[in-house]
Amino acid sequence: MRFILRRLAFYVATAWIAITINFIIPRLMPGNPVIELFNRLRITATPGAIKAFDIAFGVSTREGLTGQYWSYLGQLAHGNLGISITYYPTTVGSVIGQALPWTVALLGVATVLSFLIGTLLGMFSATRRGSVFADSLVPVTSLLSAIPYFWLGLVVLTFFAVDLGWFPLNGGSNPGVPIGLSWAFISTAVVHGFLPAVTIIVSSVAGWILSMRNMMLATLSEDYVLLAEAKGLHRRRIIMMYAARNAILPNIASFALALGFIVGGAVLTEIVFSYPGIGYVLFQGVTNEDYPLVQGVFLIITIMVLSANFIADAVYVLLDPRTRSQR
Amino acid sequence: MTVVTLSELSELGDGEALPTDQKGWLRSALRSRKVQIGLVILGIFVFAAVAGPSLVGNPSTTSVIGLSGPSSAHLLGTTNEGQDVFAQLVYSARVSLIVGALAAVISMTMSVVVGISGAFLGGLWDDVLSMLTNVFLVLPALPLVIVIASYFKDAGTLLIALVISLTAWAWSARVIRAQTLSLRSRDFVQSARAAGEPVRRIVFFEILPNEIPLIAAQFLGTMIFAVLTQAGLAFLGIGSANTWSWGTMMYWAENAGALQLSAWWWFVPPGLCLALLGAGLALLNFGIDEFGHNRPVKRRHRRASNRALRTRPDDLPRQLGDTVLDVKNLSVVYDTGSEALRAVNDVSLGLGVGTTVGIAGESGSGKSTLAHAIATLTRPPAEIVSGSVEYFPVSSDGKPAKAVDVVRLEGEELRRFRWEEIAVVFQSALNALNPVLSIRAQLTDTIRAHRPGVSRREAGAWAGRLLDEVGVTRDRLDAFPHQLSGGMRQRVMIAMALALQPQILIMDEPTTALDVVTQRQILKRIAELQTELHFAMVFITHDLSLLLEIADVIAVMYAGELVEVGRTQAIYKVPAHPYTAGLLASSPPLRGPRRTLTGIPGLPPDLHRSIAGCPFASRCSRRMDRCDVERPTLVRLRSEDPRYGEQSVACWLHTDAAPDIPPVAFAPSPQEGPAAGAEGERGT
Repeated sequence: MRFILRRLAFYVATAWIAITINFIIPRLMPGNPVIELFNRLRITATPGAIKAFDIAFGVSTREGLTGQYWSYLGQLAHGNLGISITYYPTTVGSVIGQALPWTVALLGVATVLSFLIGTLLGMFSATRRGSVFADSLVPVTSLLSAIPYFWLGLVVLTFFAVDLGWFPLNGGSNPGVPIGLSWAFISTAVVHGFLPAVTIIVSSVAGWILSMRNMMLATLSEDYVLLAEAKGLHRRRIIMMYAARNAILPNIASFALALGFIVGGAVLTEIVFSYPGIGYVLFQGVTNEDYPLVQGVFLIITIMVLSANFIADAVYVLLDPRTRSQR
Repeated sequence: MTVVTLSELSELGDGEALPTDQKGWLRSALRSRKVQIGLVILGIFVFAAVAGPSLVGNPSTTSVIGLSGPSSAHLLGTTNEGQDVFAQLVYSARVSLIVGALAAVISMTMSVVVGISGAFLGGLWDDVLSMLTNVFLVLPALPLVIVIASYFKDAGTLLIALVISLTAWAWSARVIRAQTLSLRSRDFVQSARAAGEPVRRIVFFEILPNEIPLIAAQFLGTMIFAVLTQAGLAFLGIGSANTWSWGTMMYWAENAGALQLSAWWWFVPPGLCLALLGAGLALLNFGIDEFGHNRPVKRRHRRASNRALRTRPDDLPRQLGDTVLDVKNLSVVYDTGSEALRAVNDVSLGLGVGTTVGIAGESGSGKSTLAHAIATLTRPPAEIVSGSVEYFPVSSDGKPAKAVDVVRLEGEELRRFRWEEIAVVFQSALNALNPVLSIRAQLTDTIRAHRPGVSRREAGAWAGRLLDEVGVTRDRLDAFPHQLSGGMRQRVMIAMALALQPQILIMDEPTTALDVVTQRQILKRIAELQTELHFAMVFITHDLSLLLEIADVIAVMYAGELVEVGRTQAIYKVPAHPYTAGLLASSPPLRGPRRTLTGIPGLPPDLHRSIAGCPFASRCSRRMDRCDVERPTLVRLRSEDPRYGEQSVACWLHTDAAPDIPPVAFAPSPQEGPAAGAEGERGT
C-alpha cells in the first residue's frame, strides 16, 4: 500500500512538472503569443476572444507571472484547456474529448497485445536457444526495432489498402455508420483499426522480445532456477513459475519507458492512417500552429501515460510480494 | 531507444566493470561479426554523408519528368516535381547523422554529469537529480519534443538536436548513476578515496575509464533514438523543410499523395535507410554489450558428447549394500570457448549409507563444482568430461540394487531421480528460494512433482510437518522468503531437502552465511535429523574445523583434485599433506584450547594453465625438487595410524605411500571392502 501511495505521489508530482513545462514554454517565446496568434490568424482581436486566449495560455497583461500561474492552474482544475484555433470556436477540451476514445482503444489493445506477444516470444527465444527460429528472433527484432512506426504504416497502407484494397484507406470507422455500441459500428471500427494496430504491434514488439529474452537468460542462471531443477520439477513449471515469473517483473517495471516511446510512435502512426485519435489532432495542431491544441494534447498524452504507468505499478505489486511488505 | 535501454536492464544488476582490460574489450569487440557488420553499415552512411553530396546531383532541382519510377537516369525514380530520389536520399544521410551524433553528444554529457555527480555527491543533490531523472523518464518524449519544437517551425539542425537531447538524457543518467554507485563501493575506488585522492582525479582516472563500454553503449542507443525522433519530427513538418532528411522526404511524399499513387520508390527507401542505420548502430551496441562486460560466450550443452568421451566400465551390479554413492574418476571442465578450465580433475570418492563425507577446500578449489556434479546440476559452461557417479538405490526386497550412473540420466528419468534420491541445500537460501513464491508453494510443488497423487491440501499438511521438523512455526508457510530471517530461510531449505526423504543430502556450505549461534543450532538439528532419517551427507565447506565435528570422512580438495582423504580423526591428529596441515592451522577450533592461527601464504594456481608438478608446490613450506616436475597422485598411506583409520594422500613427502594399494580409502572397491561403510550400521 505504501509503495502504491509513493508511486501515486510521484505521478502527481510528474504531472505537475508537465503542467509547469506547458506553462513555461509559451513564455519563452518572444512577444505575446496571443497577439501573435491573432495577427497570424487575421482575426479581429475582440476583447472576448482575447480573454478566451488569455485563459488558454494563462497569459495576461494584467497579472504578474505568479498570478498568471495560479489562474492557469485554476483553469486546468476546471478542465479548461482553452480554445482551438483550428476548430475555432470549439474548445480544446471537446476536440480532445472526441479523439481520446479512439486513441485509448487503439493504443490499449495494441500495447497489451504487443506486450503479451513480445513476452511470450522472448521467453520462447531464451528457452529454446539453438533452434533456428528462436535464434533468428534476435537479429530480426533488432532490425524491426529500428523501423520508424510511421514508415511501416506507409508501407502497410500502400500494400494492403491501396494495392490489395483489403482495408480502408483512412478513418476510424465507416462514416455512414453512427457511432455507438452496435455490431455494425464495432465491426467497421475493427476493420479500420486493424492496420494501425498491426503497425504499432510490429514496431513495438521487438523491444519486449529483446528485454524478456535478456531477463529470462538472467533468471535462468539464478540459483532458484537451479534449485527448481534440482527439485525435479516439471520443465514447464520451472520455466513459468520460476524463470518467467521473475523475469517479467523488470519488464513491467520498464513499461513506463517503453510506453512513452510507443505512444510517440503511435501518434505518428495515427497521422499516416488519418485515424481520428489525438495523434491526428496533434498533427492538425502542429500544421495549423494551433498552440493551445498542441499543448492540450501533450498534457492529455502525459496524463494517459502516467495513468498507464500507475496501472503497471499496481500489477507489479500484485506480482511481487516484496513490494507488498515494505514498511 | 528501446533497443538499448532494454538490453541494458540486465546490466544494472551485475554492473561490475573490471578495472582492467580497457583495450581488451575493444579488441575482442572488433573481432565480433556483429560489430563488423555494424561498422560497415555505419561506414557506408558516413561516406554518403561526407562525400555523397558531391557525387550526386542537386536534390532540389525540379524537372518536367514529374513523378516517375526507377530508371537508368534516376536510379530510384523521381518525385512529383521531378526531383531525383536517390540524390535526396544521399543528401539526407548528412542531417540524420549530424542530428543523431549531436544529440547523443549533448545528451550523454548531461547523463554523465547528472549520473556521476548524483552518485558521488549523494544526499539532497542526488535525491533531486534522481527525482528529475525519473520525471523525464516517464514523460512521453516525442510529444514533449513536438510541443517544444512546434514553436520553432523552421528550427535548424542544432536546435532540433538540442531539443531531442533534452528528452533523451534521463535513461542513460540512471544507468550511469547505478554503475557509478557500484564502482564507488569497490576496492580500488575505496582505496583511492582513503588515500585522499581528490574527487576530480578519482572521477577522471578511476570511474570514467571503467564506464567507457557503458557510455559507448548508451551513446549508440541515444543516437538511434535521436535519428528516429528527428525523422518523426521532419515527417510532421517540424524543422526546416528545405534541408533534406529522410523524414522530410516522407513528409513530402505523404503530402503529395505518393501513397495513393503507389509511388513506393519515393517513401520506401528513406524508411529502409533509417531502419538500416538503426540496425547498424544496434549491432555495434550488441557487440559492446557482449564484450564490454566480459560476459563469457555461452554455449549449448551437448550431453551426447559426454558419453563419447567417457571411459567407464559396464554397469555391473555391486555387492556392497551399504555403499550409497560411488564417484569414480570424475572430471569437470569449464569450457568458455576460448579456453578450458579443469575445475574437477579425476576425483574418486565413496559415500556410505548414513555417513557424512566432508569436502574442504578454499574458494576455487572445485568443491562446489564437484557437489553440483554429484547432484546432477552441472550445466554449461561446465561439462562432465569423464568419470561416473554411481548411485545405489535401496531396493524393496533387500537385495542389492543395480547401480545408476547419475551422469547418464536424462529427461523424465533424471527429473524423477532428482530430489527423490539426492537433494541439495544451497549456500545462500536467499538466492536459492524463489522470491515471488510463498514457502508453501515452494514446498508443495516439490512434493507434488514427485507424488502426483497427493492433493494440494495433503501437500500443505506435509509441508507443515516438514517445517515442524526443522523448528520453524507453521504460520510461516504463507510467508515469502524475504520475510524470513537468514537462519529461518536456511531451515526452510533443509526442510525442503528432506521433503521426499532422499538417501543423500548435498550440503553446499549450508551455514557459511549465518552467524555462529544460528550455525550451531542448525548443525545440531542436521545431526539429529541424520540419526533419525539415516541419510548420507556430502558436506562442502571451507571451514575444516566444522568438518572435524560432523564428518566421518574428510576429503581435502586443492586445485580441482583431492590431495588428502581420511577418517576425521586421522585428518585431525596426523594430517599428511602440508596443505591439510595449513588448513588446520588457519581455522579456529570450535572446541578445545585456543591456538595461534596461521594462514597459508600465496594463492591457488591458475587452473587455465597446466601444472607439471604438484599444484601446491609454490605455496608449500616443505617443497622438494621433485615437487616441481612430478605430479603426486592420491595413494593409500602405508604408515597410517591404526588408531585413527584409513588415510590417503597425494604428496611426495610420503614416499612410503604404496601405489600398489588402491588409493582412495573410501571408494568401495572390492579389495577394500566396506570402508566408509564401517559407519554404515547407523544407517541400516
